[in-house]
Amino acid sequence: MAVNPDHISLPKHPRARPVTRALAPRIASGVLLALAALLCVWLFVLPVAVVALSSVASHWSGTIFPDGFSMRWFERLGSSDFDAVVTSIEVGFGVAVLGTALGLWLALALEGRDRRGVGALVDLLAMVPNGVPSVVLGLAVLIAYHKAPLDLSSSAAIVVFVQLALVLPFCYRCASAALRPELTVLREAAASLGAPPSMVLRRVVLPQLVPAIRASLALGLALSLGELGATLTVYPPGFATVPIVVVGEVERGYYLPASALSLILLLVSLAALVLIAARAPRRAAD
Amino acid sequence: MSSLFSPDAAGGLSVGDAQRAGSAAAHAAAVRRRERRAQWHLVFLAVFVLGPLVAYPLARLVLLSLAGAHGLSLHAYTAFFGNPESRGVIGTTLWILFVSAGLASVLGVALAAILFFRPFPGARLVTRFLELFVAFPSFLVAFTLIFLYGSQGSVSIALQRLLHRDAPPLDFLFGIGGVILAEVVFYAPFVVRPTLAAFALLDMRLVEAAKSLGASGWMVAARVILPLAWPGIAAGTILCFLLTFNEFGILLVLGSAHLVTLPVAIYSSATVDLDLPTAAAGAVVMLAMSLSLYALYRRVDRRAQRRTADGR
Repeated sequence: MAVNPDHISLPKHPRARPVTRALAPRIASGVLLALAALLCVWLFVLPVAVVALSSVASHWSGTIFPDGFSMRWFERLGSSDFDAVVTSIEVGFGVAVLGTALGLWLALALEGRDRRGVGALVDLLAMVPNGVPSVVLGLAVLIAYHKAPLDLSSSAAIVVFVQLALVLPFCYRCASAALRPELTVLREAAASLGAPPSMVLRRVVLPQLVPAIRASLALGLALSLGELGATLTVYPPGFATVPIVVVGEVERGYYLPASALSLILLLVSLAALVLIAARAPRRAAD
Repeated sequence: MSSLFSPDAAGGLSVGDAQRAGSAAAHAAAVRRRERRAQWHLVFLAVFVLGPLVAYPLARLVLLSLAGAHGLSLHAYTAFFGNPESRGVIGTTLWILFVSAGLASVLGVALAAILFFRPFPGARLVTRFLELFVAFPSFLVAFTLIFLYGSQGSVSIALQRLLHRDAPPLDFLFGIGGVILAEVVFYAPFVVRPTLAAFALLDMRLVEAAKSLGASGWMVAARVILPLAWPGIAAGTILCFLLTFNEFGILLVLGSAHLVTLPVAIYSSATVDLDLPTAAAGAVVMLAMSLSLYALYRRVDRRAQRRTADGR
C-alpha cells in the first residue's frame, strides 16, 4: 500500500490558510522587514558610528561625509582631557565597587523580608533613587552637604557620593535577583551541616553570586562613566569627568575634539565591561 | 502487637515528646532571636547607610524649599514659577514627555514585535546591540544627532543636494523637535527589552491555536498576544515615561538655548543664579511628579511579576 506522496490531494477547506503564500504578500512582508532592519540600523547603529567617524575626521561640516581623515583631534587632547579620563575611571571604579558592596549587603539583609514592615521600608528607600531625577538628587545632596556639620562640596567625595546613590538601586536589584530560592537551599544545607555563617557566606553565597557581582560592577561602572546631571550639579571647582568636559566643548561648538574625547570614553567603558563581564558564565548573560 | 503499646513504651514516648517539645521551643526562640537581629540589622542599614545617602538629602531639599525668613513660606515656589523665563515650564516639560515617550513606546513595542515574531537575519545581533545601547550616555546621542541632522549635518546636506535647494532644509535640531528625536532614539531600546521579556513568557501554543483557527495576524496580535503580554508591556512603557521625564543630558545639549524645561530650569537656577531655595522649589515639584510616576511603575511591575509567577 505504498502511496506516492506526490499524489495525495489535501481536502479543500475553503477557509484554511494556504500553506504557501502568494508572491505579492511575501514581497510586501520582505520589504517591511528590510525597512525595519534599515530603521534599526539608521536609528541605533548610526549614532555610534558617527562618534567614531567624526573623531577621526579632519573637518566635517556642510558635507555628507567628512572631508578627510586625520588623528589630529587625538593629538591635540591636552593634559586636562587626560586628567578628566583618569578622574572618570577612578570615580567609576569607586562607585562600582562601593555600589556593588552596598547592594550585596542590602540584598542579603533584605532577602525574604522585603514585603513587610521594616524590610518593605528599607527596600523602598534603596529603590527610590531610581525614581528621582538626577538633577534633583544632585541638588539635594549639594544642599545637604555643602556646609557644616559635613562639608563635602569642595572634594571629589561628593561626586562619588551622589553617583553611589544613583547607582545603588541597580546594584541592589542585580544582587537580589541572583538570590533565587533554589540557591537558598544550598545555603541552608551548608548551615544545617554545621558551617558557621561566615563560612557559609565565603564558601557558598559569594561563589553563587559571582555572575551577579560582575554584572553589578559592569553596570555601576557604565552608569557612572556616563552620568551627567547629578555630577554637573555637584562637581567641585577644578574637578571634571569626561561627560562634563564633552558637554562644555559641545556647548562652545568644539564638536570634533568632543567626539575624540567621547570615543575614548566609550572605548574605556567597553574595555572595562569586557574585562569585567566577558568571562562571566553564559547563564548570567541570559 | 499489643506489647508495642505497653505502658513502658508509652512512658518513653512521653519523655521523648517532652524533649522534642523542649527542643522545638528552643528552636522557635532561636528563630525569633535571629529574626529580631535581622530586623535590627535592617534598621541599622536604613539609618546609617540609606539615611545619609537618600533620605536626609531629600528631606533637606524639601525643608529648604519651604523655609522662609519667618518659618514656613511658599516664597521659593512663587519665585521659581513666577519667573517670566520659566513660565509654562511644566506644560512644556509634560508636552515633550508625552510626545517623545509615547513615540518611543510605540516604536519600541513595534521593534520588539518584529524582532520576536518575524526575526530577520541579524535580529539577534540587533537585540544584543540594543542591550549595549543602554550603556551609551544620553548626551552623546544628542551630540551625534548634530552631525546627522544639524543644519550642516550629513542628512541635511544630502537632502539639500537631492532637492536642489539653496539652503539646508533641516533646521529643527536645537529646539523641541531635536529633543523629541533624540529622546525617541535613546529611549525606544529601553522599551524593547521588557517587551521582549513579556513576549518570551507567552504560551506560543495559544498563538498557534488562534492561527490554526483562522485568525489573521492582526487578530492574533490584538486578541491573543496583547491581552497576555499587556502587564509587561505596560511596565516597560511606564518605565520609559519615567526615564524620559528624568532625562537631563539631551535637554542640556539640544534644548538649553531656546527651550526652558524643568530640569534645565532647576539646574540653571542652582548653578548659574546660585539660588538654592528657588532651585529646591522647582526640584520638589519635579520630585513629586517623578515619584508618583515611579509609584505607578512599582505597582504595575509588581502586578506583572505576580502574573508571570502565577502563570508558571
